[in-house]
Amino acid sequence: MAAAMASAISCAAATPAVAAQLQAKGCATTPARAVCVRVSKAFSGLHSIDLPTASVSASSSNARTDGAVKSSRVENRRNPALDVVASAGEKKNILMLGGTRFIGLFLARLLVKEGHQVTLFTRGKAAVTSQLPGETDEEYAAYSSQVKHIKGDRQDFESLKAAFGDKGFNVVYDINGREGTEAEAILNAIPALDQYIFCSSAGVYLKSDLLPHREIDAGDPKSRHKGKLDTEALLESKGVKWTSIRPVYIYGPLNYNPVEEWFFHRLKAGRPIPIPSSGLQITQLGHVKDLATAFVAVLGNEKAIGQVYNISGSRYVTFDGIARACAKAGGFPEPELIHYNPKDFDFGKKKAFPLRDQHFFTSIEKAQVELGWTPEFGLVEGLTDSYNLDFGKGTFRKAADFSTDDMILEKLGKKTFVAA
Amino acid sequence: MATIQAAACSNVGQFSCSSAATPRSSASGVVSWLCPSAKFSTELRLSSVSSFSQATSALQNSWLVKQSRREVVLPGKVAAARAAAGGEKNVLIVNTNSGGHAVIGFYFAKDLRAAGYGVTILTLGEEASDKMKKPPFSRFSELKELGVQTVWGSNTDIGAAVGSAKFEIVLDNNGKDMDAVKPVADWAKSSGAEQFLFISSAGIYKTTDEPPSVEGDAVKSAGHAEVEKYISELGFSSWASFRPQYMTGSGNNKDCEEWFFDRIVRGRPILVPQPGLQLSNVAHVSDLSSMLTLAVQKPEAANGQIFNAVSDRAVTLAGFARICAKAAGKEVEIITYDPKAAGVDAKKAFPFRTVHFYAEPRAAKELLGWTSKTNLPEDLKERYAEYIKIGRDKKDIKFELDDKILAAVKQPVTV
Repeated sequence: MAAAMASAISCAAATPAVAAQLQAKGCATTPARAVCVRVSKAFSGLHSIDLPTASVSASSSNARTDGAVKSSRVENRRNPALDVVASAGEKKNILMLGGTRFIGLFLARLLVKEGHQVTLFTRGKAAVTSQLPGETDEEYAAYSSQVKHIKGDRQDFESLKAAFGDKGFNVVYDINGREGTEAEAILNAIPALDQYIFCSSAGVYLKSDLLPHREIDAGDPKSRHKGKLDTEALLESKGVKWTSIRPVYIYGPLNYNPVEEWFFHRLKAGRPIPIPSSGLQITQLGHVKDLATAFVAVLGNEKAIGQVYNISGSRYVTFDGIARACAKAGGFPEPELIHYNPKDFDFGKKKAFPLRDQHFFTSIEKAQVELGWTPEFGLVEGLTDSYNLDFGKGTFRKAADFSTDDMILEKLGKKTFVAA
Repeated sequence: MATIQAAACSNVGQFSCSSAATPRSSASGVVSWLCPSAKFSTELRLSSVSSFSQATSALQNSWLVKQSRREVVLPGKVAAARAAAGGEKNVLIVNTNSGGHAVIGFYFAKDLRAAGYGVTILTLGEEASDKMKKPPFSRFSELKELGVQTVWGSNTDIGAAVGSAKFEIVLDNNGKDMDAVKPVADWAKSSGAEQFLFISSAGIYKTTDEPPSVEGDAVKSAGHAEVEKYISELGFSSWASFRPQYMTGSGNNKDCEEWFFDRIVRGRPILVPQPGLQLSNVAHVSDLSSMLTLAVQKPEAANGQIFNAVSDRAVTLAGFARICAKAAGKEVEIITYDPKAAGVDAKKAFPFRTVHFYAEPRAAKELLGWTSKTNLPEDLKERYAEYIKIGRDKKDIKFELDDKILAAVKQPVTV
């Protein structure tokens, strides 16, 4: 709590300047509320690296060496005046659908720290609370004693009203919804909501020759994320105050999707990294902690009502670049990259590479301009956080499976590996 | 103060104006504006000349329309009256006489006149040279009609070309290195210019694993970088450097989309160096001229800054071919190939760089309030219409390199 207190004090002092900054950017502000985002303060206990701003830029691969450039414009639009956490706005009674697996873990903590009442609605498959790597005992105790839980199954539409219809929830964070019918069931159970905040996906965008994807771009009615698109349409049609967040690839400690994990397995094993086609495909990774702060930034934000926001990292990255960034993050030597033509192989049901084989990245400008949010983590810095708190400690979700790697290496006539 | 009757335009978004005017039937000071949607036109009538420049500045700042969809009719006598009234700043554009950047000065000159600045464009070389028969130079009468002074001369003796004329703002749209730009910058400084602008290149960014190239990122030690450093240390009240990539737009001196149209209209495949998904940027030149104009109008905001002078959407190499084909209303076959294996120099065989060449215009958006209006699918339709109008589809073109590549690609590969 001490960390939160310190932040609150700096927030009070900075508020007039912060509000002015945000108003200049066109962000909605009230005297009482300044949108805040500074992950290093929010997650001070969970942040494995406490780098001052200067060394952060130096560590990124895009460090400035051009001395002629005036540095009034800061990479990632950081502004020390925005280095605050607390919003002095109205406290909400929040129902979070999910909250025990990945995104919700971090988001729920932020919301509780901000003074909101948070109730997680899950089937109870994962522990309601567990101490996060890097979280102090005090922080964990504060969180676990305040967060509430209702056990149930959101797929059982009939049970929802009884489960939470009368608990006075005024905000829903729908972190794990997939289909429009699911959101509809929630709305039927809780008719009067101040805001319905939905975790959608950039996977809804129709593939395009013109990039990055922007929120105004067409969705793909044939994508496997169609349900997310349907949910956004459903929310719009219901007249509820809604906001949708579209992340790209999320990474960070406790990621259950094998994004960085896939690369770290190979780096730890000293194996070459097989990358489909040219390795020039460009994608975008966003740290889960930055995603959490974005979710907080839209809460109670009038400007965010009825809006969709792409949320991810400030820079994009090539497939080859992810491999190199993971190597840097884990302190591994520069990896050997093997490129192969995926059309020459039949991998059956197995995935030889964890990312979609195409350009896939979005502009986060809208969120930066309208919400005053900006990602804290650069790619190498963020992957280092993930490695130090999770994958580098020997923990992982999916065990290493190098069978497709070996198929590729063999076909290309490269030396195959035998585990040491 | 003049009111601007713009109620008919629904597609403006950022439109804001604080002036108020009474409509008049007189023809003086009439400006016609076409909406970006090209559905409405707005007439601006003002009761006084002095408020005209204020109002057009306000319009310019808040509503930046592409050159091709905007008509600015600035009767000569209005411009002259304004100049006589004083308080008008003068801009000198030192312009290259050839190449992809030549067209920038042409559009910038027009935008500046619309914004109420005096403009002189000094083109390198001689007015009578063969180079002046190509666009945009062949269309300099359009600049003269707008009251732009067009002169010819050398970058090493600007005084000889412009005489005693005073310029508060100087743009070097000519040089790539110190030899070419130092004399211009030195002359500007010694003649008392307040603001110096330089057209550099986004090609100087170092390759990165994490695109896009953003202002402030590491650059190669190229001539342009040396020039930027030199300018920054000369002590202008305001200096800025603009780093473009590729440009499209009527009046272009160097082929861009034409290379693609040449093949599309003749039913030839488009040959793209592998893998085809390399990203590049083709901006409508009016995006550059609007960015430059904003820097002139906001010298404090622009001071000391690098601006990537590009649109805010990248396009893949194969994707650009597809958009060209769609603009032409034709089918196209795209074949990717390995230049080395085909025995050709990619620089000669293809008009764009074959690595990711991807910068984003973040500084201009953040610091100047600039927005991109480039819309390649629409812009290339206009370009295609002009391509046909000038009869280039009938031109006899040899495709030697293409044929060489096709022959190599069709060779059976021995394993």
